[in-house]
Amino acid sequence: MKELENQGKKQTTDSLSEIMNIDRLVHSPARLSILTYLSVVEEGDAVYLLNQTGLTWGNLSANVTRLQEAGYIEVVKEFKDKKPHTLLKLTDRGRKAFHDYQNKMKGLLDIKGHLPRGT
Amino acid sequence: MDTSDQKKIERRVFTSFFQGGIIEAFTGIILLQLGLSALFSRSGFGDWQSALLTLPIALILLIVVFLVRRFVIIPRLGRVKFLPERRRKLSKLIIVPTLTLIAGAIVGYIFAENASLRHIFVGLISFSLVSIIVFSAAAYFLDMKRLYVYGAIVGLVFPLGKYLETVIISRNTLPATILLTAFVFLSIAIVFLVAFLRKYHEPGV
Repeated sequence: MKELENQGKKQTTDSLSEIMNIDRLVHSPARLSILTYLSVVEEGDAVYLLNQTGLTWGNLSANVTRLQEAGYIEVVKEFKDKKPHTLLKLTDRGRKAFHDYQNKMKGLLDIKGHLPRGT
Repeated sequence: MDTSDQKKIERRVFTSFFQGGIIEAFTGIILLQLGLSALFSRSGFGDWQSALLTLPIALILLIVVFLVRRFVIIPRLGRVKFLPERRRKLSKLIIVPTLTLIAGAIVGYIFAENASLRHIFVGLISFSLVSIIVFSAAAYFLDMKRLYVYGAIVGLVFPLGKYLETVIISRNTLPATILLTAFVFLSIAIVFLVAFLRKYHEPGV
């Protein structure tokens, strides 16, 4: 019985320590929102992200740049009907990072659900 | 956020691309064509003649709707390529309505050609069934619940018009019922488009 309790405590501690390993690049609300909306489509343009995330142009641009630098998204700039058009796509690396983040957070929230109130 | 949450987000994103009253305009135009066709056929034109006369009007209006979507709605919503699963589901959308419409056209032809069957309600009921099946298939494949309601309305309009014709003795009651429903749908489409244009502005960049 005691052994089981200790095992449970160890699992909880391991999972809580995972919070330190959370990908901070994904963890920001703006970037998480961008990744979420890119994960449900094959590719989308900047206007699509602007409408869905509710971010401003400046904020979107800054966060897209950070995600692009990390290799999480691919940005293609082109001209459509003589107007600049920015197409964004989640890379395999970005998709993996997003899913890892999802799983880690889910694991953490599951643990939190089993802890007594106030912890 | 698990897979079901992501599916919900994907569904919300997908359905958001049908804003601006596109579905309502499409339904209204089909009803308008059918209503005008019924009106012409009761004014001395043949059934097929009436259908052919009204078809260009419907086609022009459908082209206008397509252009509004292409040049007004999509630039404001942004361009998106959906995931392969969604595209596969959309390709299935074409199959069910096409088969149903072919079956409906064959049944319609049999009723139009056979004088003894012409005045039977079975023709109207089969037409209603075709409408309900087509709209239900669209509702299922497009993940849009309101299309079930639209299907029920379109399916009910014809028997209702025929019934009203027996109550109000006028040979134009059926076309009037269909046209009234068409105008209701087109009015809703315009209201939705205006609301959409107020909410979304064309991006400056």
